[in-house]
Amino acid sequence: MPKGEIVAGFIAPHPPHLVYGENPPQNEPKSQGGWEQLRWAYEKVRAKIDELQPDVILVHSPHWITQLGHHFLGIEHLAGKSVDPIFPNLFRYTYDMNVDVELAEAACQNAKDLGLVSKMMRNPKFRVDYGTITSLHLARPQWDIPVVGLSANNSPYYLTTEEGFEEMDRLGKATRKAIEDLGRRAVVLCSATMSHRHFQEEPDVPEDMSQEHPYSMEMYQWDMKLIDLMRRGEMQKVHDLLPQFVEIAFAEFKAGSFTWMCSAMGYPELPGELLGFGNVIGTGNAVFEWDLTKFGLATPASEWKHSRPFNAGRPSAPSSPLGGGSFGGAGPSIGATAR
Amino acid sequence: MTVVSAFLVPGSPLPLLRSENPPWSGIASAYRTAGRALAASRPDTILLYSTQWMAVLDELWQARPHLADTHVDENWYEYGDLEYDLNIDVELAQACVAGSKEIGISSKAIDYDKFPIDTGTIVADKFLNPSSRYPLTIAANNLYHSFDDTIRLGEMAVQKATDLGRRVAIVGVGGLSGSIFRHEIDIRSDGIVSAEDDAWNRQMLSSLEAGGDASFPEVCDEFAKGAKADMGFKHCAWIYGALGRKFSGARVHEYGATYGSGAAVVEFKV
Repeated sequence: MPKGEIVAGFIAPHPPHLVYGENPPQNEPKSQGGWEQLRWAYEKVRAKIDELQPDVILVHSPHWITQLGHHFLGIEHLAGKSVDPIFPNLFRYTYDMNVDVELAEAACQNAKDLGLVSKMMRNPKFRVDYGTITSLHLARPQWDIPVVGLSANNSPYYLTTEEGFEEMDRLGKATRKAIEDLGRRAVVLCSATMSHRHFQEEPDVPEDMSQEHPYSMEMYQWDMKLIDLMRRGEMQKVHDLLPQFVEIAFAEFKAGSFTWMCSAMGYPELPGELLGFGNVIGTGNAVFEWDLTKFGLATPASEWKHSRPFNAGRPSAPSSPLGGGSFGGAGPSIGATAR
Repeated sequence: MTVVSAFLVPGSPLPLLRSENPPWSGIASAYRTAGRALAASRPDTILLYSTQWMAVLDELWQARPHLADTHVDENWYEYGDLEYDLNIDVELAQACVAGSKEIGISSKAIDYDKFPIDTGTIVADKFLNPSSRYPLTIAANNLYHSFDDTIRLGEMAVQKATDLGRRVAIVGVGGLSGSIFRHEIDIRSDGIVSAEDDAWNRQMLSSLEAGGDASFPEVCDEFAKGAKADMGFKHCAWIYGALGRKFSGARVHEYGATYGSGAAVVEFKV
C-alpha cells in the first residue's frame, strides 16, 4: 500500500445560506438565489475535487461541539434530516453519508497516543450537525466520497486560545499520520467563517443581497489582512496573528478547524488561492484552496494508484440505519454492585 | 395567581440516562420529587427556558403543537437515546413572541418538523412532566441576551400567561458551576471539579434558600463569574423575572455533580 497523502486543503465555510441559495433537492426551503460569489467559489472547489480524485474528505466542524475531548463520527452510514437550530427557515436538509470509519478510528487512536482525549461516536441515531453537512454538500454535493467528521472540542473556550490551538496541532498530526498509514488520498476541509460578528436580525427576504455587507470596516480589514497573508503564503504570520484575530473578530477559527487543517497538511508555507469571498449576515467568509499537488507535495491524480477506482461506489449501507429500537448505549456501566 | 410553582433544574442528561449511578441518583430522585410538586401545583402550562437551546438571532419560542422524536446528545451519545413527546401551548408561545417585541426584543416563533429540541428541555420534561400531561411554552437562550434581558423575558412571559388566564409552572433549565472534567472519569466517583467551584455553588444555593430581592442579580453576577456558571446563570434570571423580581426563599432538593459541573434541583417558594 502506498503511503497516503493529503492532496489539498480548503477553507470551506458553512453558512447554511449557501445551501439555501443553491436550492438543492435535499433542502426543503427554496430561495431566489443569493450569495452567488461564494457559491461560485464552491463550484471551483467541486471542480478541484473532481480533478484530485480523493478517497476521502475530512471535515472539522465548529457546530459539533464536544465538551469531553475530540470526537469522530464512527458509524459507516449516517442518514437523516438536519434542521439548523439557528436558521431553521433556511436549512432543513435530508442527508445521507458514508463514513470512512477505519480512517476515523486510526486518527482517533493516534490522537489518544498524542495525549488527547478522543472518542468514536457509535450511536447510529446521531444527528450530524449542519456545519459538517453544509461544508460537505458545498464541496461534494454528490455525496459519493466517504467522509470523516471531527467534532470541535471546546478547549479553546475553556482554556486559552493558544492552548486550544496546541490541541488542534496535535489533532492535525494525528489525522495526517492516519491518512499516511492507511494509504488514503485525502482532502481536508476547515469548516469555518473568518470574522464572525454578525447582524442581530435577519432581513424579511434572507437572500436580499442589498442587505448584505461586512459587519464593520474593522472586521473587513482584518479578514483582508489575513487573506492577503494567505495569498502570499506567509502562513507563519497568519498563525502568529490568529489569537488576535480571534479576539477582535470573534473569528470562528477559534474552534480550531483552521489550525487542525494546517497541522494536518504539515504547515505548508505556501500561497493559497482565494476562490471567493463574501459576507453572510455580516460575517466574513473566504473559500480558499491549497492544492498540494501544484507544489509537488502530493501526487497528481494521474500518477496515483487508487486502492479502488475513484468514485467506484459507496460502501454498502445497513438495511435500516435509523430503524430498530432505542439505543441503549454502550456508555460506561456503573457495574453490578452499584445498581 | 398565575405562577403556581417554580423550579431550577439541571439540563445534563446523565442523571436521566444513568439514574442508578450513585453520584447522579440523588439528582434523579430530587428531580422526580420536583415533578410531583409541579403536578401538585396544577399548572395549565410549563413555562420553560433552557440554556441548551441556543439562539443568536431573535428570541425564539417553540410554536409547533406537537413534537415527538428521538434525540441523541452530541456529547453523551454513548449513554443512550432521549425519546421525547412534547405538547406545546402555542397560544401562549405566540403571545410571548408578540410580547418580546413589545419589550424591544426581536422574536420569532419556531414551527418546523425535526427541529432539534435541546437535551436540557427533554431532560426537564421527562422528569417533571413524565406523562406529557402539561403543555409547554419553551424559550430559547439567545447568546447575546444579558441577564437583565432574560429577567424581562421571564416577566413578560408571566404577564402574557396572566392575560390568557393560565396557571404556569416556571422552569429554568441549566447548571451551576460550568467546568467539567476534561478527562474520562469513573462515573461512580463523580464530584465537583474543584473545591472553589463547590464553594461557589454552595454559596449560591444558600442565597437561593434565603430569598432574593432587588440585589439578587448582583449575587448571580458574582456567582456566574466566580463559578464560570452555565450560560451566565441566565436560567435563574428567567425564574427571578417570572417571580416578579423577588422571592422569599427556596428549597434545595439536591445538589451534586454531573461530570464535574454543578447541578441542583431547587424549588422556589411561591
